[in-house]
Amino acid sequence: MNALVEKIGADRIRQWLPLATLVILVVAIGIVEPTFLQPASLLQLASDTAVLFILATGVTFVIMLGGIDLSIQSMASLASVIVALTITRLGYGSFVLAVAVGALAGLLSGLAHVKLRIPSFIATLAAGGVLFSTALVISGERSITMGDSARALQEWITGTVFGIPNVVIVGLIVLAIAHTLQSKTRFGRYSAAIGAGEPAAYASGVKVDRQKIFAFILSSGFAALAGVILAGRLSSGSPTLAAELLLPSIAAVVVGGTAITGGVGSIWRTLVGALIISVVRIGMTFLGVNIFAQNIVFGAVLILAVAITIDRSKIPIVK
Amino acid sequence: MSESPATTPALALVNVDKYFPGVHALKDVSIEIQPGEVVGLIGENGAGKSTLMKILSGVYQPDSGSILIAGEPTHIASAADANHKGIGMVFQEQSLLTNLTVGENIYLGNEAQFTRFGIVDWNALYAAASRQLAKVQVDVDPRMRSEDLDFAARQMVELAKALTLEDLAGGHLVILLDEPTSVLERAEIEVLFARVRALKSRASFIFVSHRLDEVLELSDRIYIMKDGAVVGDLKSGEAEVSELHQLMVGRSLQSEYYRETLQKPYRDEVLVEAEGLSLGTAYKDISFKLHAGEILGIAGVIGSGREELTRTLAGFAPHDGGRLRVGDRDVRLRSPAEAVDIGLGYIPRERRVEGLVLFLSVAANITLGDLGSLARFGLINAGEERRLASKWSERLNVRTPSINTLCLNLSGGNQQKVVLAKWLNAKARILILDHPTRGLDVGAKEEVYELVRATTAEGVAVILTSDTLEETIGLSHTVLVMRDGTITHRTEAAPGAKPRQVDLIGHMV
Repeated sequence: MNALVEKIGADRIRQWLPLATLVILVVAIGIVEPTFLQPASLLQLASDTAVLFILATGVTFVIMLGGIDLSIQSMASLASVIVALTITRLGYGSFVLAVAVGALAGLLSGLAHVKLRIPSFIATLAAGGVLFSTALVISGERSITMGDSARALQEWITGTVFGIPNVVIVGLIVLAIAHTLQSKTRFGRYSAAIGAGEPAAYASGVKVDRQKIFAFILSSGFAALAGVILAGRLSSGSPTLAAELLLPSIAAVVVGGTAITGGVGSIWRTLVGALIISVVRIGMTFLGVNIFAQNIVFGAVLILAVAITIDRSKIPIVK
Repeated sequence: MSESPATTPALALVNVDKYFPGVHALKDVSIEIQPGEVVGLIGENGAGKSTLMKILSGVYQPDSGSILIAGEPTHIASAADANHKGIGMVFQEQSLLTNLTVGENIYLGNEAQFTRFGIVDWNALYAAASRQLAKVQVDVDPRMRSEDLDFAARQMVELAKALTLEDLAGGHLVILLDEPTSVLERAEIEVLFARVRALKSRASFIFVSHRLDEVLELSDRIYIMKDGAVVGDLKSGEAEVSELHQLMVGRSLQSEYYRETLQKPYRDEVLVEAEGLSLGTAYKDISFKLHAGEILGIAGVIGSGREELTRTLAGFAPHDGGRLRVGDRDVRLRSPAEAVDIGLGYIPRERRVEGLVLFLSVAANITLGDLGSLARFGLINAGEERRLASKWSERLNVRTPSINTLCLNLSGGNQQKVVLAKWLNAKARILILDHPTRGLDVGAKEEVYELVRATTAEGVAVILTSDTLEETIGLSHTVLVMRDGTITHRTEAAPGAKPRQVDLIGHMV
């Protein structure tokens, strides 16, 4: 019984650890660099976090189920290329096209995973390769800069409303939709059930395959949306535009406190995780850490976060 | 027979207790095994046999009491530690790795003695493996892959593997035989028993089995367990099957235990009808009718096909011949989801794996089978969910701090009530009870019986496979007996006119 009490206590601490970490990091940077705490800086932080948050949100759905999606950065890059290539012809339709391609890619990864019974990391690793090469081929292996006419169409990404950057508003809309999906719908509940105990979910009549496929569609679709936004912010599309974002995205999910083994997690946690990653990134900039060295830190943070959050007693064998 | 009472026991448990959440699994258990003795250990499922075996093999630690090896108090920290102290195991579920050779399996984890500078001398290992195999007089090439052996030969290899502990422990061995005969043919059992007798000079044995006649045949002495306690200790020569059975069950058959007064006649409405149902080699030509309010018990030994038939009805193993009607439709259930859709609910034997999502709350588990009816415009109505979960939790008397408690923290009996609540909430008209009282203590069992009776009184039909024949007979309106994949016998089991176990056993084996 004592062990049980201790466990609940530990769980509660574990639950608040990410938010506490975020607050401590923000305060620490604020002490070193007081301008960081001004509204303008914080809005900048929010803007810079949006793309990472949207990527991480998508993959949260897959991780909740106990799977992983390694194709998200390639999908985001491909989406940026699709927008850059088609925006003059299709206008707003180019955004829809990019996200639709994302959803389709997710559908195919999901089908490969559940119908061919391929582990999700293999299915999405392969899908990522396909998507990356597709982006390379259709872009002619180069970065495509978008002109002024295209920029006008991207006002919904780059503009502001009452001083609040649109990209932050888009991020909040994604948060609202994803949170509702995850906490209020059958899909969200089934995902948690599958992640925590797939055999019981299956025996209870849950259509496990369907939920999984839907999670991959969401993951890839949100990745494409992130690519669209990234393209808007950088006014270009490139097959490597999101190349360094896979690791920080997954780190954001796990740092936020969603279990990498599935079953436990939320979109709020992913938001906190994404903000932590952003703040750490800014902190490193203040400390003068080479931008290309950042993934060294994020890699270490990911390992550390998993090591802290994982309950080893539940996982006798790790493959 | 070992007739030397004054010797120090090779192994003894003294006043051992073991608790799990909500269950007092072992109650002040004391047993001893003399050198060279074969001790039988019997009891119903849930009596504490496997807990006892797991304590001896180092998987669990006793909460109180002590373990003595050759008179010395000792602590068994792990399975490897048990091995080093001369306790070996031959499991019901065989532990050989089928992709390795026989020799590799025998010395798995103990290759160091054949290793120099990190290189294994395979010739030496196989030669040693041959010597081990000779001890059990089995004619198997140690270089064969284990998957190429039949079940009986693998069992012998396991025994040979256990005997390698002689070198490791450097003393007398105690070998635990956990249901070693459950899938063996009679001739193979004879061979196994002959080997065990021949090995009594080098080892003692604890023999766990459900087959009482075999326990009487092989053992020198028999411990009988019931509800976590040792309730009998008999010399084999002085005991009879009926006496053992009486001690195991702990009472002469009481009809009220199974709430037979609550057994109401079933209705005329047929909910499930099978006609010539078959599946591969598992079962064939199965025909029965299941009526509203009826409990249909299926009796049979392992391999009789009753387990597969149960899985078919639950949607895990679609039949490949014959007809299955549920309600007024012909169906072939390709997934549990299809079964659930037409009003079937499965209460599995692996409650913690297939029955519940342990890391979800009581409420979430209760509504898992029918979330659709809680959703409006795709959103789950949280208030309605709480109301339903509370309703069922109260009605079934689920003892839980709150409906938000994780099912992980409930006792087995209360977990089983949550599984039942899930299907009642989903308005299942047909329940498939697959060993529904496995691992529950007596009080929890009685609660389950009561709930099953109350549920059938409402017109729900039940298909029951059970751990004990007694439970099958006690609960059922109708009993089907299966053997080798076919129905060999069908009998009514009205209150006051229940068939006798011996009459059914004749049709089972």
